[in-house]
Amino acid sequence: MHTPITEGLTSVILLQSFTVFPEYFISISAIYVLIVIVIITYNVYGLLIHKALSECLALILLMACYLIFNDYDVLVSNTLSFHHSIINDYLTYVSKFLICLFTAFYFVLISSSLKEQKLTSFEYLLIILLSTLGLLLMCSSGDLLTAYLSIELSSLALYILAAFRKTSTYSIESGLKYFITGAVSSGFFLLGSSFIYLNSGSIYFDDFITLFERNKWSFYPPNLLEEDMDPHFHLMILIYKYFNLEYTIWKPWPEGSPLVDYSFIEIGLAFIYFSLLIKIACAPFHLWSLDVYEGSPTSSSFFFAAITKLSIFVLLIRLAHTCFVTSSSSWHLYFIIIGVLSIFVGSFGGLKQRKLKTLLAYSSITNMGYALVALGTLTNTAIQMLFFHLIIYMISGLCTWSIILLLRLKTKNYGNKYSKELGDIALLRKSNPALAFAFSLTMFSIAGIPPLIGFLPKMFIFLSALMMGYYMVIIASAVLSVIATFYYIRIIKVVYFENLLVGKLYYPINTHITLLISSLIFSLLFLFFNPTLIQLLFFDILQTPSNVSFYCLTKI
Amino acid sequence: MLTSNSLFIFFSYALVFSSIMVIIAQHPVFSLLFLVSCFIFSSFLLFLLECEFLAFLFIVVYVGAIAILFLFAIMMLESKLNNLSKNTIKYFPIGILFSIVLLLPILNVVNTFFVDSSTVSDSFYVNNYQNWYDLIDSTHDVNVYGQILYSYFALQLLIAGLILLVVLIGVVSLTNSYEKQTKQQSTFRQLSRTVKIF
Repeated sequence: MHTPITEGLTSVILLQSFTVFPEYFISISAIYVLIVIVIITYNVYGLLIHKALSECLALILLMACYLIFNDYDVLVSNTLSFHHSIINDYLTYVSKFLICLFTAFYFVLISSSLKEQKLTSFEYLLIILLSTLGLLLMCSSGDLLTAYLSIELSSLALYILAAFRKTSTYSIESGLKYFITGAVSSGFFLLGSSFIYLNSGSIYFDDFITLFERNKWSFYPPNLLEEDMDPHFHLMILIYKYFNLEYTIWKPWPEGSPLVDYSFIEIGLAFIYFSLLIKIACAPFHLWSLDVYEGSPTSSSFFFAAITKLSIFVLLIRLAHTCFVTSSSSWHLYFIIIGVLSIFVGSFGGLKQRKLKTLLAYSSITNMGYALVALGTLTNTAIQMLFFHLIIYMISGLCTWSIILLLRLKTKNYGNKYSKELGDIALLRKSNPALAFAFSLTMFSIAGIPPLIGFLPKMFIFLSALMMGYYMVIIASAVLSVIATFYYIRIIKVVYFENLLVGKLYYPINTHITLLISSLIFSLLFLFFNPTLIQLLFFDILQTPSNVSFYCLTKI
Repeated sequence: MLTSNSLFIFFSYALVFSSIMVIIAQHPVFSLLFLVSCFIFSSFLLFLLECEFLAFLFIVVYVGAIAILFLFAIMMLESKLNNLSKNTIKYFPIGILFSIVLLLPILNVVNTFFVDSSTVSDSFYVNNYQNWYDLIDSTHDVNVYGQILYSYFALQLLIAGLILLVVLIGVVSLTNSYEKQTKQQSTFRQLSRTVKIF
């Protein structure tokens, strides 16, 4: 009996291991929307469907939220699917849910301002949807190849978003700058991945855990593990005991034996961290972000600042806290240094800045600095506080950017000026007192004044760094955050107490958008008194020891 | 064994040389030609590693499509690059500093990592044998790539398709102008242009 050698590999993706239903839904609906709109607008030139389309895409993302919420059992099963390249755990679940929810809010918030910005073509919204798809895949990626492809999917869409206003030179310039820095950082990501592959022979995160983190989780003795475990796991241990097998995974690593040679891993990790830090615009690598945020259309820079940062941090948490903790002594200090440097640059750079979007870019650099200090501390609490900080950052980013986007000046030369300066919001108190109050609340929250939620994550990050004994870091960043408070307060001063006789007039805002904004602003105040709601989101993002070993054993 | 190693070393040195020349060469066309030679040498390296399909793919995609596209873009731009040497001198010290900072740790690690201290490689006779089973049971390169791509990396293949979709939508919307008049080709102006490459 001769069987042909060229028979296919036995790889079947079962329905029970198909854990990417939300992404699948979003990609199919994006393609469907593309086809339908092309059919609708085939012969009709200049049909304006941007408002309906943005609400439709918000609906798609809310449905994806529901899908994620509904698939809790599958998505939080602590397993790996698609041949180890998709991770299903709580961190993925929460971050995917938050990204979908906030992007849906984002679509609602920008829907009425697209016409004023002259971004009415449907490709703009569709590209944002596909970029969100890339962000979702980045959260759940379980190997370096999937991570690279999803970073490329999201960031190629972002370059297009930055350059979308073809008639403006600033927009084209910012798109080109973003593209060049992004290409350099992608190249470094690939170089780092190849170095890691050279040393370990694998690109999968779970292989990194088994190779390099062996001594981290093999320290837990079996009797400690048997107490609270899943029944599935009990069965496995019973089988091990029945067959008298030596379950090698819990065996403590012998003391003093030579560990792995980390030299190549460290260089590769340095390159990967470098490229990811370029993507989130931290202080030595931040120079592109100022020009890009200022030059690109306001709704695009809204997306860059508010939505895209979370998933890159999820990838950083996976690499730094899950896969390569053992080699952390060589690089975790650099995270803290870069964090303090970005707080420094963000605080002092914004002092003399009068353009609003550049000011918010500096504010974003400062916030990324706090997040990096938490990431460099690398304790479990610090990682949880990092996640807390990012959620609050996204909420307050949505508030600030949407208010800036929705302030439409009543001028005669309509739409000639796209970027806003501090003078444009002078005496907002007189023309729109509610919006002025909301804006000042948001600014107080970002500055970290106590009765608002922005105070809590900052304080917890400082406390978690204090537990590890980084006193100088805390003193420096606290002093620098006081300096950063200056320009937040100055915005409030401009809004309320500017010594002018004539203010500017603005168009009113739609009702459903005001409902959304006021609920977001209310959450800034409410969450301070009831932070348990957010704690419910992030308390379980790190795996308990039993989960880690479970994670290494079962592969769908 | 020895011959293939020497070929490998030769092609690697040629690759390094031509990639340095890509940066050093003043005229963009020359640096582009060195880029083409870079791709060709790296495809030779892939041949020596017995990845024939990838080697052909390198030549077809990079030399056949991308390098020609670059050449076309350079010919269209006709840029005057007189001030390039000034910029080179201006950025020389900081570039050297950063390249040393980048290269030294890598070279140090490579030096320590690839030290072959086994006695087998020091001995005179290289233990070379032919595995006959490999020769009988061999599948084609393309076959292997196809099977792995469509079974183990199905998801990644789909993501790559989505990336292409994003780029397609973006390029169409960025370059498309909704004007009624299309640009006409005037033969006289085209023929009367002088060649300004060299």
